[in-house]
Amino acid sequence: MKILLVEDESSLREIIRRELTGERYVVETASDFRTALNKCDDYTYDCILLDITLPDGNGLKLLEHLRATGRSGRVIIISARDSVEDKVKGLELGADDYLPKPFHMAELSARIRSVIRRGHPEGGRELKLGNLSLFPERFEVRVDGRPIELLRKEYDILHYFISRPGHVVDKETLAEAVWGDHIDQSDNFFFVYAQMKNLRRKLREAGASPEIRSVYGFGYKMVDEKTE
Amino acid sequence: MKLIYRITLRLSLITALLLAVWSAFFYFTIMREINDETDDALSDYAEKLIICSLAGRTMPVPGDGTNNTYSIQAVSDEYAEQHPRIAYSDADVYIPGKDETEPARILKIIFRGSGGGFWELTVATPTIEKDDLLTAIAFWIAALYLLLLLTVVGTTVWIFHRSMRPLYALLEWLDAYEVSKPVPPLSAQSGVTEFDRLSDAALRAAKRSEKLYQQQQQFLGNASHEMQTPLAICRGRLEWLVDRTELSEEQLGEIFRAQRAIDRIVKLNRTLLLLSRLDCGQLPESEEIDMSALVQEQASIFEEIYAHKEIRWQIVRQQPLTVTMNRSLAETLVGNLLKNAWVHSSQGGNISIGIESDSLTVSNDGSEPLDSERIFERFYQGQSREGSSGLGLSLVEAVCRSYDFSVSYRFENHKHAFTIQFSPHI
Repeated sequence: MKILLVEDESSLREIIRRELTGERYVVETASDFRTALNKCDDYTYDCILLDITLPDGNGLKLLEHLRATGRSGRVIIISARDSVEDKVKGLELGADDYLPKPFHMAELSARIRSVIRRGHPEGGRELKLGNLSLFPERFEVRVDGRPIELLRKEYDILHYFISRPGHVVDKETLAEAVWGDHIDQSDNFFFVYAQMKNLRRKLREAGASPEIRSVYGFGYKMVDEKTE
Repeated sequence: MKLIYRITLRLSLITALLLAVWSAFFYFTIMREINDETDDALSDYAEKLIICSLAGRTMPVPGDGTNNTYSIQAVSDEYAEQHPRIAYSDADVYIPGKDETEPARILKIIFRGSGGGFWELTVATPTIEKDDLLTAIAFWIAALYLLLLLTVVGTTVWIFHRSMRPLYALLEWLDAYEVSKPVPPLSAQSGVTEFDRLSDAALRAAKRSEKLYQQQQQFLGNASHEMQTPLAICRGRLEWLVDRTELSEEQLGEIFRAQRAIDRIVKLNRTLLLLSRLDCGQLPESEEIDMSALVQEQASIFEEIYAHKEIRWQIVRQQPLTVTMNRSLAETLVGNLLKNAWVHSSQGGNISIGIESDSLTVSNDGSEPLDSERIFERFYQGQSREGSSGLGLSLVEAVCRSYDFSVSYRFENHKHAFTIQFSPHI
């Protein structure tokens, strides 16, 4: 899988590259509009991460150019602007996703996986880790092919973790992702523990090989013993 | 008080005063003229009588068609010494020819008769009735006053409205002007220098404020956006440490705390950007929102999050309520209002929610009233709470303002109650 990263801020470029290389992607980078344009014309990429505010041009122009020349390849806009208008504009120009800065690296790799998966036929759009599969279209979870029953929040939590295998997720970030924006740092997180406890029990009883581990009470991460 | 009323009132007062002074002056002048003439006639008549008396001729009969009367009598020397020789006075006298009492002018002359003794001649002639004159003058002055007043007020109002038209246009323009909206056009061609200058000045001031406001908004927007990339870098680097390195619990704890601080900045940034967009009047697409469903949904989320507080909540009144607005702003509105109630309720408290056909009320137990002047201010917090932005209620207020809803706070029966009144047109 080949990814082009268009980002003018060198430090951010470096950490995204490091992260994605760690996930076995081939990553090329461009720091300005011209370089990006040349690379797009010369090579094909599975996914392009595009910052739209570049020193020598608007990233949206690059997107227009790509779509006008009929290139395949997914585009995810990474932008400091997060208003609805900006998102709508980017998506209307043919971007596959829009990720406002500052994002979590785990979120970025989940989005990349998700847009790449979209190119696959229906059956291929499952999230898999060990013997655990999650089918986002059907809200279905299977362990070794056997479906298991999860409540709504349990499913949401599992979906969140299976998209970010191996990443430590702060329980506050998890709470915000699953319960919505109204979580405060001063809140206690009993409601997360309660759901997590049930989810873990259900996964264990169904014999799932991946498990969600606590990280010293700060957060959780999902790991699969067999793939580690 | 409207300017025109003030002008009219002052004009009326000044006219009334002037006319009063003028009529007094007029009355006294007329009276003096009349007395002068009467006195001359009396003095002639008296002279004739005295000559007659001195010459020893027959005195004329009183009441010879002139209504003049006279009497003559001898007086003592002392009396003559004590009284002036010629004295005019006003008195009511009985006129035998008319058989009635009338006001008259009286002349008393003391003269030495042919015999050497003193005589006093009293002549009287009826004069005009001063009361009648006074009444007549007062009546006509009042009539004149009314006529003048009508003319003056009518003319003033007419001229005032014609000449002040540009001022009223300017006032209307100022009323319509809002700093966050584009400046509407204003014509400065009334032909009156002062008004044109005023319009010009107002227009310039408005344009200047608009520019400053835009610059400020843009600055806020840019500053918030510029922060996103460094924040992304911070986040990315800390996450890399957490995910890819072996850390002790202590180290991990430090990193998580740093991350949470970053999360807080990110949230704050996002809220400030939203507030600034709302202040600019940028409203995203609207749709029909079923408030009951939204309230139900959000309340059950808070019930779960704050389950440990064991708060009882109920919807006490429920009528169908749909509002046309943007979905995420509706969620912000309802979410922040409910969250406020849950956060500020004590353990085991009560929350009641009333949904009427045009309003939403959320109330929760409380011990003392909040400062209703300041609760919607940005960063105002009654009691400081760690991790809270202090922007929740100001977001509620900003969303309401953008949609012309009104939000109000009451403290009644030991309950805080927030009510959102949706516009009547929905």
